[in-house]
Amino acid sequence: MKNGSIVLQVFRGEDSAGQEVRFEVPAVEGMVVLDAIHYIQANHANDLACRWNCKAAKCGSCSAEINGQPRLMCKTRVDEYPDQEIHVWPMRTFPLIKDLVTDVSWNYEVNKQIPGFTPRPNEPVPYRMLPEDTERVYEYRKCIECFLCQDVCHVLRNHDDKSLYYGPRYMVRIAGLELHPLDTERRTGLLHGKAGVGMCNITKCCQEVCPEHIKITDNAIIPLKERTTTDVYDPVAWIGRKLRPRRDELAAGQPTGALGTVRAPQRFAVKDVIRLKSGDRPMARVGTVLPDGRLEIWVLKMKGTQQHWKGPKTIDASDVINNYGPLDHAH
Amino acid sequence: MTETYETRTTDVLVIGAGGAGLRAAIEAAAAGARVAIVCKSLLGKAHTVMAEGGIAAALGNVDPDDNWQVHFQDTMRGGQLINNWRMAQLHAQESPDRVYELETYGAIFDRTPDGRILQRAFGAHTYRRLCHVGDRTGLEMIRSLQDRVVQLGIEVHMEVTLTRLLKDGERVVGAVGYNRIDGRFVAFRSKAVILATGGWGRIFKVTSNSWEGTGDGVAIGFDAGAEVLDPEMVQFHPTGMVWPPGVRGILVTEAVRGEGGYLKNSEGQRFMLEYDPKKKELSSRDVVARSIYKEVQAGRGTQHGGAFLDVTHLGAEKVKTKLPSMYEQFLRLADVDITKEPMEVAPTIHYAMGGLRVEAETGATTLPGLYAAGEVAAGLHGANRLGGNSLSDLLVFGRRAGAAAGAYQREVALGSIDERQVAEEQQLLLLPFSVDGKENPYLLQQQLQQAMQEDAGLARDEKGLKRCLNTILELRQRAARVRVPGSRRYNPGWHTARDLRFMLTIAEAIVRAAIERRESRGAHWRLDYLEKDSALGRVNFIAYSDRGSVKLRQRPVEPMPAELAKLFEEPASKAPAPPEARRIPA
Repeated sequence: MKNGSIVLQVFRGEDSAGQEVRFEVPAVEGMVVLDAIHYIQANHANDLACRWNCKAAKCGSCSAEINGQPRLMCKTRVDEYPDQEIHVWPMRTFPLIKDLVTDVSWNYEVNKQIPGFTPRPNEPVPYRMLPEDTERVYEYRKCIECFLCQDVCHVLRNHDDKSLYYGPRYMVRIAGLELHPLDTERRTGLLHGKAGVGMCNITKCCQEVCPEHIKITDNAIIPLKERTTTDVYDPVAWIGRKLRPRRDELAAGQPTGALGTVRAPQRFAVKDVIRLKSGDRPMARVGTVLPDGRLEIWVLKMKGTQQHWKGPKTIDASDVINNYGPLDHAH
Repeated sequence: MTETYETRTTDVLVIGAGGAGLRAAIEAAAAGARVAIVCKSLLGKAHTVMAEGGIAAALGNVDPDDNWQVHFQDTMRGGQLINNWRMAQLHAQESPDRVYELETYGAIFDRTPDGRILQRAFGAHTYRRLCHVGDRTGLEMIRSLQDRVVQLGIEVHMEVTLTRLLKDGERVVGAVGYNRIDGRFVAFRSKAVILATGGWGRIFKVTSNSWEGTGDGVAIGFDAGAEVLDPEMVQFHPTGMVWPPGVRGILVTEAVRGEGGYLKNSEGQRFMLEYDPKKKELSSRDVVARSIYKEVQAGRGTQHGGAFLDVTHLGAEKVKTKLPSMYEQFLRLADVDITKEPMEVAPTIHYAMGGLRVEAETGATTLPGLYAAGEVAAGLHGANRLGGNSLSDLLVFGRRAGAAAGAYQREVALGSIDERQVAEEQQLLLLPFSVDGKENPYLLQQQLQQAMQEDAGLARDEKGLKRCLNTILELRQRAARVRVPGSRRYNPGWHTARDLRFMLTIAEAIVRAAIERRESRGAHWRLDYLEKDSALGRVNFIAYSDRGSVKLRQRPVEPMPAELAKLFEEPASKAPAPPEARRIPA
């Protein structure tokens, strides 16, 4: 902040092309980045595109990347960046429309695929639910759909194809539905399949950026992984065991600020449990990781409740949908 | 000449995706209609999301004496008896079912220890009546309705602004506007249109409203010939944030007082004990807002011209569980830990009691085919709205409008679209790209907001109102010369140019009616007429369009039937003890 003014470098552009444009804005006490953007709109660039609604961190519209951090502009004070230029960029996981506005419609399409709240058809109304049962659902229902978690999620950010994983926002939504005391729907099949809960490698970036402080990974994704695993493997022989998804050290150690700089590759190790795309999507275990990145695997065939591992068979890593990490025998 | 535009056909067009619009859409779909929802923002961002305190419904879960008659009386008294009594009655009778129904969509309210919906005290509600989820009730409501809409597969067109209703003779048969993303024109052809566009808080400088509150629905309804009722009645919420300047106007929920917060002046006195010894901090919003204003005028305001709102005596634990987003909001935006220090608050424009005149049962406006529900409609709240009554308003009358439009569309065929009307609107919309002028839409908007804040705000008098009217008329001239740079692709300056016209129309209606209401009643406080005038207490003002200019007339308030009027004659001794005596046990 120099001479009572602040300098913003705001991304301006359409479709995929654009660059930062420098603006100087008079500093006002307690100013947030959105105030500065509004000042620019009113005084320098009437056509500067940005989304905003409530300006009170309740609607989740004004998501952006501020100095590399996914933040709500209405909640980010400019005095957090003393003597620095403030770089404001759109969320880069989504296709750019213009300036700070991106096309987030994919999220709404994903949402449509999740079966909604389904009570018993004869559930008496008004509902009776005990406080201890409802309070555990509140955390998930706090979500304001700012999509910052989607923005920061490595799986979504690093794959142009968003078909493998619904993303943290929708894990939170599903967790809220699954834990609703009166819901009867089972969404673990969806989680295991299309929603791709196994894709998450627990880097916890999403929960670090959540403006509502939802513990997305700890309280939504991990319990859903466990629930999914239990549901999928219970009928066979893995009762009482827990599948622990493998923590990707490379990605875990990466600061959330340095977005897009490090790509977290899908990594495999011996004994990892994986699910394949080909055939009828069988489960398999990794026997050897070949030097060229291909995998030697044993595919699971069930005979009644008996497990049979057929192999070895060599596959390409791209044939893997989910990697659940090694089996944890310690329960 | 008409530029090519996309035409979409549907049975019922719902404009607005807040609580009222979504509830209306659900009901119209249930009636078998094909429904399209159009909203200016993304789905789920509507202003309903900002509602914090709760939804008023006489469930009687916490105070078993509560019933619809008491709720009805509270609403009518709060509105200073110029409300539409039938709306107030339907609202009080039906809101409990609407709340229960919301839970069947997946909403979860805070609960009593035995598993029923918990209710909290709120201003001017006799009993603890507000069903709530901490201080994020609006979010819970909009998310539940949104999920339901998705579950039912209702079509939603996000980021589309409709700027003119299309008429076939007298009948409303659709609407035209533009897609915000690419700026292309789009028309909807429908058998019925439901307006659920919310309020007009953005006309004022200090407001709790989002940018969307530009009164589009009222303005396009007015332009099409519908009547606007009680435009002068604009609610100040007593407690908005004051400092720092960037957050000025952001809402501090009434739940802070509902949970037991005190209002204090700079001398540390709980001044509400003097202004309203009975209801104290939980007096009606108009009374509390004026009290804060008077304290500031008397030199007992805070450093930044407000009052202190103190919850430190409640204990950090309760504050964090019952008011989590307030705690976060002050900590984050104002560096104030509300469990340790008082908040600084001042009145902020919050709600428009006025709006389109509708029929109580159906939400039908005075134009065939056009319905309205929620803040865009008027009548329920009269001269002052009670906290929590707006969320129940959205559900009760959203449902009614949806059902009525759903029934109406079965009786009629699609109307025909008049290309001339579309072309006129296109010309008006495109004007800012070609006009010979230099006016900046944002700066004109700011001037309007400043004028309305100063002269048509909390304290009004004839001189100020007339000055304000002159400013509005001058700004109207200048608005025709607004020029915007850039293309039509997501261009907020261009959007603002059109919004500005809506705002100017409504501002003129507000000020003209405020001049004519030469009395003080509810939210309308005239320094030059401090008393109520019983003759004016029997009329509503109606603004209507006469070839583009704003005209005003009076309409008698409909008298209540005898059995309801009787409720207001009962002796005061039967009134229950003030809420302080009946705090919810911890």
